[in-house]
Amino acid sequence: MSGVRRPSRSPLRAVGVAAALTVVLAGCAAPDAEAPVAQQRSWDDVKAEAKGQTVALWMYGGDDQGNAYVDDVLAPAAAEQGVTLKRVPIADTGDAVNRILSERQANVTDGEVDLVWVNGDNFATGRQAGAWLCDWTSMLPNMAGTDPADPLLTTDFGNPVDGCEAPWHKAQFSLVYDSAKVTDPPTSLAGVLDWAQAHPGRFTYPAPPDFTGSAFLREALYSVSGGVSKVPLAFSQDDFDSLTPPLYDRLKTLAPSLWRGGDTYPQSQEELDKLYADGEVDMTMTYGPATLKDLVAKGTFPATTRVLPLEEGTLGNASFLAIPSTSGSQAGAQVVADLALSPEQQLAKAQPDTWGQFTVLDMDRIGDARAGFDQLPASDVVPSYEELSKNAQPELSAAWVPPLDDGWRREVAAG
Amino acid sequence: MTARAEPRSGRALLLVLPALLPVLVVVGAALVSAVLLSLGLTPLVGVPRLSLDAWRAAAPDLGTSTRLSLAIAAGSTAVAAAVGLALALATTAAVRRSRLLATLSALTVPVPHLVGAAGMGLLLADAGFLPRLLGIAPGDWPALVGGRWWVAVGAEYAWKESAFIALVVAGVLSTRAASYAETAALLGAGRWARFRHVTLPLAAPALASAAAVSFVYTLGSYEVAALLGRPYPEPLPVIAVRLFTSIDLAARPQAAAVAVTTSVLGLVVVLASLRFLRRLAAEQ
Repeated sequence: MSGVRRPSRSPLRAVGVAAALTVVLAGCAAPDAEAPVAQQRSWDDVKAEAKGQTVALWMYGGDDQGNAYVDDVLAPAAAEQGVTLKRVPIADTGDAVNRILSERQANVTDGEVDLVWVNGDNFATGRQAGAWLCDWTSMLPNMAGTDPADPLLTTDFGNPVDGCEAPWHKAQFSLVYDSAKVTDPPTSLAGVLDWAQAHPGRFTYPAPPDFTGSAFLREALYSVSGGVSKVPLAFSQDDFDSLTPPLYDRLKTLAPSLWRGGDTYPQSQEELDKLYADGEVDMTMTYGPATLKDLVAKGTFPATTRVLPLEEGTLGNASFLAIPSTSGSQAGAQVVADLALSPEQQLAKAQPDTWGQFTVLDMDRIGDARAGFDQLPASDVVPSYEELSKNAQPELSAAWVPPLDDGWRREVAAG
Repeated sequence: MTARAEPRSGRALLLVLPALLPVLVVVGAALVSAVLLSLGLTPLVGVPRLSLDAWRAAAPDLGTSTRLSLAIAAGSTAVAAAVGLALALATTAAVRRSRLLATLSALTVPVPHLVGAAGMGLLLADAGFLPRLLGIAPGDWPALVGGRWWVAVGAEYAWKESAFIALVVAGVLSTRAASYAETAALLGAGRWARFRHVTLPLAAPALASAAAVSFVYTLGSYEVAALLGRPYPEPLPVIAVRLFTSIDLAARPQAAAVAVTTSVLGLVVVLASLRFLRRLAAEQ
C-alpha cells in the first residue's frame, strides 16, 4: 500500500472499522450448542396455538412428485386445521440448515424456516449446533402408529433422534440396471464391482460428497470389509485407518474400467441418471427408488429398468421433518408434522402416481387403515418395501461420512 | 496537490458516497467476517479462539486450486479479449455489416452465466446436441464437459465475456477511432499500420480494463465451474462452496480461508491492472 493517503479517505476508513466492529461483536456471541426443548403440553393446546399460523416447509425442490404432493395433498389438509403450509423449494437441504445456523447466530426467534425435510448428515450438522427443537414428537398423536423400537426411527445415521424430528418416510438405497443390457445381473455389491470391471465403460458412480455417491461409498466399504458386522457404526480413527485402505485400493483398481476410464466421475446422482438415460452406462443408483416408476412411465428411463436386489441387502434410512429452534410457528409446525404422519397422508403419499414414498407406520399399529396399504399396486420396476428392505443395512454414524468422502477425493479421484 | 483541489475532491467523495457506502459496508463486512471465521474467531459452536488450523487444513488443496483457477481465468480471458477485440473492430469498421454483429454480441450480455453454462452443457456434453448432430457416439466425443482441460468451462466464460469486452471496446472505438483512422489513411497509413498505431492504442485501455474485470469475475465465479467441471481438482470458488456446505461445521473456517485467498488474488489482479492502466495512460 502507498503511504500517501488523502485526508478525505478517513470517513470511509471509519465506516470500515465500524462495520468490522459490528461483525466482531455480533460474531463473538456464538450460540451454545444446547438444543432447546419443547414445552410439554396437551395436544389440544398445541392445536389451539397453531390456528392461524403459517408454516414454511423447506424441502429439496427437485422432485416434481414430492412438490405436487405437498402443494396439492398436504397443504389443503393443513389448511383444514387452520395452518397455512407454504413450501419453500431449495436446491440442497444444507441451504436450510445454513439459514437456521445464521439465524441462530443472530438470535432470531421468528425465523424464515419452520419445518425442514431432513435426515442423516444435515440433521447431525444441526444437532452439532443445537439448531433443532427437541422432545416434541412424543406429543404427536399419530406417533402411536410407528414402532417405538424401530431402529430406523430412533437413530438417524447413528445420531439418536431424541424427539428432535418426526419420521416422514423410509428409503432404501437401490442399484438400478437396464435388464435389456445387463443379461447376467450380479447379486452382490462385490459382484457389481466385478461386473463393472468385466464391462469397461458401462458403470460409474457419483463423486462423493454427493449424497448418493457417498452412500455408494459406504455400501462399498461394507462389501470390501467383508460385511456390515465388520464395520463399527460409530466412527473411530483407528477403524478408519484399518478399514479404508482396502476400500480405496479396490476403487482405484476399478477406476480404469469405469465410464471415461475413471478419469472423471459424474458430480451428482442427476448426472449419473442422465448418463443412464442416454444409454452411456447400464446402471444407476438412488436412495429414493420411489421416483423410478415415474421416470420409467415418462420414458426418461428405458421400460426394461429394474432395481437390482443384493443378497447382503442395501442401506436403509428414514427421512424426517425437523423444527428449527429459531422457528416462530413451532405449534403450527408440530401440527403439520403430526398430519404428515397420519395414516391417510402416509397412504396418499405411498400411491405410486402421487409420490410412491414408503411409509414409516407400523402396519400392526394402525388398525383398519392397513387395508389401504395392502392394496397399493405392485410394480415391475420397484419391488415392494418388504422385498427391498430385506437384510437392510444400518447407516454408519454421520461422523464417518466426511472422512470417507475426503479420503475418496484424495485417494481415488486424485489418484 | 494544490489547496483548491482539496475541497473539490471532498465534494466529489460526498457525491459518490451513496454509491460507495453500501458496497463498502457489504463487501467490508463480508470480508472481515470471512477473515474472522477463517481465524477461528467466530465459530458456529464453541469458544472463539485465534488459530491457524483452518488455514493449515485448507493448505494442501490451496496450491492446486489456485493454479487451476488462475489457468481457467487466464485462458478464458485471453480468448475473450481476442474475440472481443475482433468483434469490436468488426462492429465499428464497416457500418453495413456491424448492426447484426452488434446485436448478436449485445444479446449475449444479458444471458446469465448459469443459463450459458447449462446451454454449453447441453451443446458440448458426450450425449449433447453437437455430437448428436454430427452423429458421433458419446464414447468417441472428446471430454469437453468435465474433462481434463476444462474446455466447456473456458468456452462458456470466453463466449460470455467476449461479448462484454466487445461492448466496452466498441463503445470507445465508435466515438474516436473513425476520425483518427481516416486521418491516418489520408496520411498514407496502410490497414495494418492503422490497426497497429491507431486503433490498438485507442482500444488498449478499454480492452485492458474490461479484460481485468472479466479475469477477476472468472476467478471468483462458482456456477459455471461447478456445472461443467469435474470433481477433482476444484477451482477455488468450488472448493469454498463445497467446504462451506460440508456437513461438518468444522470445515466452515476452511471455506472462509479459501474465500479469503480468492479475494486476495482478485484484489492483487485489480491493483496490478490499475497500475498497468496508469502506466499505459502515462505512455500515451
